[in-house]
Amino acid sequence: MAVSVDETAARVPGTTPVRPAMRTRRGRTVSGHLRTKWQLWLMLAPAIVVTAVFAYVPMYGIQLAFREFDFAAGLTGGEWVGLKYFTQFFESPLFWTLIRNTVAISLTTLVVGFVAPILLALTVNQIVGRRRKRFTQTATYLPHFISIVVVVGMLQVFLSPTSGVVPNFLSLFGVAERNYLGDPDSFVPVYVISEVWQHCGWNSIIYLAALSSIDTHLYEAARVDGASRPQIIRHIDLPALVPTMVVLFILNMGGVLNAGFEKIFLMQNPLNLQASEVISTYVYKIGILQSQFSYSTAIGLFNTVINFTFLVLTNQLAKKFANTSLW
Amino acid sequence: MARTTRSRRTRTPGQAHGRRTLTTTTVAVAASALVLAGCTGGDDDGGETTGGGGEELSVLVVKHPLTRAMTDMAWVAELEEAADVSISWEEVTADWDQKKSTMLAAGDTPDLIIGVNAITDADLATFRTLFEDLSDDLDAMPNVRAMLEEVDGAKEMATQADGAVYALPSWKEFWPQAITRQYINQQWLDNLGLEMPTTWDELYDVLVAFKEQDANGNGDPGDEIPFDWSPVGTTGYGYFQPTALLGSLGLPITGGGGAGYFVEDGEVGNFLADERWKEVLTFLHRAYAAGLVNQNVITQDYSAYQSVARGSGDTAAVGFSWGWTASDRFGARLAPQYASMAPLLAEEGQDEPLTWSYDFENLTANHVVVSAQSDAKDAALRVVDAFYDQDMSVQVLFGDFGTNVEKVDDDTYRVLPPADGTSDPSSWKWTSTLADFGPMWIREGIDLTLPADLAEAVEQSEPLEEAVANVDPDEDVLPPYLKMSTEDLSTLALNSSTILNLTQTKFAEFVTAGGIEEGWDAYVAQLEASGLQQNVDLYQKYYDESQG
Amino acid sequence: MTTTSLRPSLRPALRRRTPGDLLFSIALGTTVALVLFATIYPIWFVTIASVSDPTMVATGRVWLVPQGFSLFGYEQILADSRIWTGYRNTILYTVVGTALNLVVTLPAAYALSRREFAPRRPLMFFFAFTMFFSGGLIPTYLLYRDLNLLDNWLVFVIPSALNVYNLIIARAFFENSLPEELFEAATLDGVGYLRFFLTMALPLSKAIIAVIGLYYLVQHWNDFFTGLIFVRDYDKQPLQIVLRDILLSNQAFAGGAGGAGGSGGGEYAQQFADQIKYGVIIVSTLPVLLVYPFIQKYFEKGVMVGSVKG
Repeated sequence: MAVSVDETAARVPGTTPVRPAMRTRRGRTVSGHLRTKWQLWLMLAPAIVVTAVFAYVPMYGIQLAFREFDFAAGLTGGEWVGLKYFTQFFESPLFWTLIRNTVAISLTTLVVGFVAPILLALTVNQIVGRRRKRFTQTATYLPHFISIVVVVGMLQVFLSPTSGVVPNFLSLFGVAERNYLGDPDSFVPVYVISEVWQHCGWNSIIYLAALSSIDTHLYEAARVDGASRPQIIRHIDLPALVPTMVVLFILNMGGVLNAGFEKIFLMQNPLNLQASEVISTYVYKIGILQSQFSYSTAIGLFNTVINFTFLVLTNQLAKKFANTSLW
Repeated sequence: MARTTRSRRTRTPGQAHGRRTLTTTTVAVAASALVLAGCTGGDDDGGETTGGGGEELSVLVVKHPLTRAMTDMAWVAELEEAADVSISWEEVTADWDQKKSTMLAAGDTPDLIIGVNAITDADLATFRTLFEDLSDDLDAMPNVRAMLEEVDGAKEMATQADGAVYALPSWKEFWPQAITRQYINQQWLDNLGLEMPTTWDELYDVLVAFKEQDANGNGDPGDEIPFDWSPVGTTGYGYFQPTALLGSLGLPITGGGGAGYFVEDGEVGNFLADERWKEVLTFLHRAYAAGLVNQNVITQDYSAYQSVARGSGDTAAVGFSWGWTASDRFGARLAPQYASMAPLLAEEGQDEPLTWSYDFENLTANHVVVSAQSDAKDAALRVVDAFYDQDMSVQVLFGDFGTNVEKVDDDTYRVLPPADGTSDPSSWKWTSTLADFGPMWIREGIDLTLPADLAEAVEQSEPLEEAVANVDPDEDVLPPYLKMSTEDLSTLALNSSTILNLTQTKFAEFVTAGGIEEGWDAYVAQLEASGLQQNVDLYQKYYDESQG
Repeated sequence: MTTTSLRPSLRPALRRRTPGDLLFSIALGTTVALVLFATIYPIWFVTIASVSDPTMVATGRVWLVPQGFSLFGYEQILADSRIWTGYRNTILYTVVGTALNLVVTLPAAYALSRREFAPRRPLMFFFAFTMFFSGGLIPTYLLYRDLNLLDNWLVFVIPSALNVYNLIIARAFFENSLPEELFEAATLDGVGYLRFFLTMALPLSKAIIAVIGLYYLVQHWNDFFTGLIFVRDYDKQPLQIVLRDILLSNQAFAGGAGGAGGSGGGEYAQQFADQIKYGVIIVSTLPVLLVYPFIQKYFEKGVMVGSVKG
């Protein structure tokens, strides 16, 4: 593990790098494997069936990206055009703008949105008093449920250059008044901050759950040793979060080209368009509104391949350096 | 203390057993769910079926979110009786685009689809085999046939390049030709002793006076917003936007501007690269730079745009703006302060005649399509024709006889004011019936007393009449019903996405930051590089075809 | 259990507070206060906006207390009979769906967490692949039609029976938080995987069951897309579809009063649209909020204490 493992941390379940796994009775043949592991297969069966039927069966639709959409000829009956739609996308004058904007938005969201819930969980975990703690948890998780339309509506009200509370507040500190919604440079920060605000509490739940599984005796022992609270956070709490952090980080990296459509679309205006036009809004404008099925499928596939590549790379790195991986 | 005991109890096997019981219950619930599904799955499909005998018909209707259920409208029962069918309605109010593309691509359509442009020309081009060609069914639909023959442009609008008719339009006589009207606060003019402006320069001076003086007389000279317009989107221009000023230069736009294409003397162009648009932008920047325009104008949403103009109490907030009617734009309380005005001259004594956006609001396309796979085609045609009946059309548009409309005699109708005191005529109409979304033919010969909001729109359109008359529908109007091939539509869409990304960004930049003189040529060059000319040529080709 | 059991051991530490500890407490208090303000104020804003004059809200005149108080939005929302059908449907889909999700996900996650289970790596890839590659909406629609899932309420629970993200999280938790010694001891007693999972693993994993259950519950609660694309019969539509229909009346006017063949939304419609969008949040979120405290208790320190020591 990348994190320093000291005396205290080593006692936390889950932080020990490799546990001697059971190697006994390991079946060497298929029948031997089934004899010992049939219960595991039974436990997996529903998940495998659901995935095979509902995720793998429809995958023949991917070929639409390489075919002309021809309704009369059926979904897979259109003329094979190979990489025509991919080339069309790569040669689009907007291609690099879209990639740049998408990566800027999603990467910032990814980094900030990954760190914030961890800090929040560690903070909430420090609160003394059950009621206060629960109250804080509930309060931070609330914004997750506000619909995007309203979040954007609230941004309009809060950030209005004439009456908004945020510009007025910031101007007290000498920050020049500006129209945060109409400034291309402000688009990413405004988007990311509002994302973090909305989902940070919700995303910290998983970390709180991980913290809850720490053996309380560890804390008592640490207290007896005279550890300070920051030391306890660093040597007990944080290591306990590492396995979850690694998994979530790998999963997040698989979203490097995902930038949420609806919110960006609603936040778009002619002033910030140069920073706010991303792949998903482009696909919407060209695909959904104009029935360009093949083109939008091709862009979707491109997106997926890039995302998946990032996931696989991160997974390999994690396997190597953190000894944790998805597969 | 209770908690301590519980945590201790986790050690006992009893707790583990408790968990197992819970898990077993979950399995049982899930399993019984599967069984239940076996019973309920597929026993009734489709929504509510309204009364009436005859054949069963499934109809999808795209309606306004405010509109009540179809089964609550009395005219629907009449319609079913007239066509001798019983209809099961599927009512869509939101996210139709998403729902539609899946439904069409899967070939899963109901017998009829109703709603204004619910099925667009682009859909018809892509999915034409899904829809019934009605051109050979007109004998079964006397009302429809009469409308296509009598209403100018209706037949052209309905007919595809190959002569097929898949979707039928609606005609509403009495509708004002233009959606956008131009308003100025007359009371502010009077308060400050100013004349109604007639040119851009005069308007500029008036706006400066609005800004610098206490035009609304509330003691605060700083709270007036002299000039405001509707939020300009990233996909093109629409109503109540500064494209209205193009009329000052004689450039004839349609539908508020859209993606910029227009026809002038039979020649297609795009105003986004036109010198006259440059002049408009220059004027807008001059006003913006002088602080005359709402500083939120680019970023506000439609709610804010409307709310700001409501002012507070009797104190108006906005001086000059565009809207549908004064009441709709400024609220009933402030509406009397505003006067509708004629288009402005770009400069005194100019030669170009004034024009105004030509919006085709009375002839609207694609209100109803019939599925080609329908097993009740005759019944479907009867329903379609019943919509275009004279009495039925009036009820589809304004609501039921008795509560919404008084039928005085055979050809005389009076639209009644809202029965629930709280509502306004417009909302009343939209809550009561399909209104403008429905298929209808409001005939020329009838005597119809309009509701207050429409009467207001007609009355406030008067100052525009001269400019509208300057637009020659044959030479200066880009018809909204050009029927293009899928391939050309795709080329247009691809180019447009690039073009509009640039023009909308530049619009905002030019208006707020200026730099028009220096930046214009590079901007136009960039437009050319994005395929603007290719799109213009395509429009020209189809325009010429449509003119025969 | 948490604080109660911790307090005796904390007390000596607090009594001899070092300046560092004090500083830490102050920093913590400030942070929490800021975080609370940042989250509670917007919620408060939504609440007061839902009962305020929408014109005042849009022009930034509503800050701390409702202005132009009216319950118009709520009256409109609650008067809509579809809301109640929507609630009924959503509760059904959520309860049945979440139960099914847990039944499918937890055993699979546990099986995949067994390090000696050789096929687990290819299987993980098999699952993870579907998080990225999908056939798209149209083949899915055709599949559902063939399986008779269109317009069938099962479409809300069966295709979504497994969320791979949740599977991965649950697997990581089983992998890292279940002491291996327990399994070893159990195997010596001749306990099989299934029985160990049901009698030992599950009771020790309340926190993750709570988290995964909550994730699934909220996923079902917020699902409007399934209803939108695959269900036509309004009587089967979940709450979110009903609310979205009401909510989007706001956007219907955003195209301009004269847009889309319409003409003039009218003041009533404007008020309807603006006030309702805030009310809808309160109406749709309240039930989920009520569930949270029940789940929360599983996140507290020491859920596992005791049993692990076994």
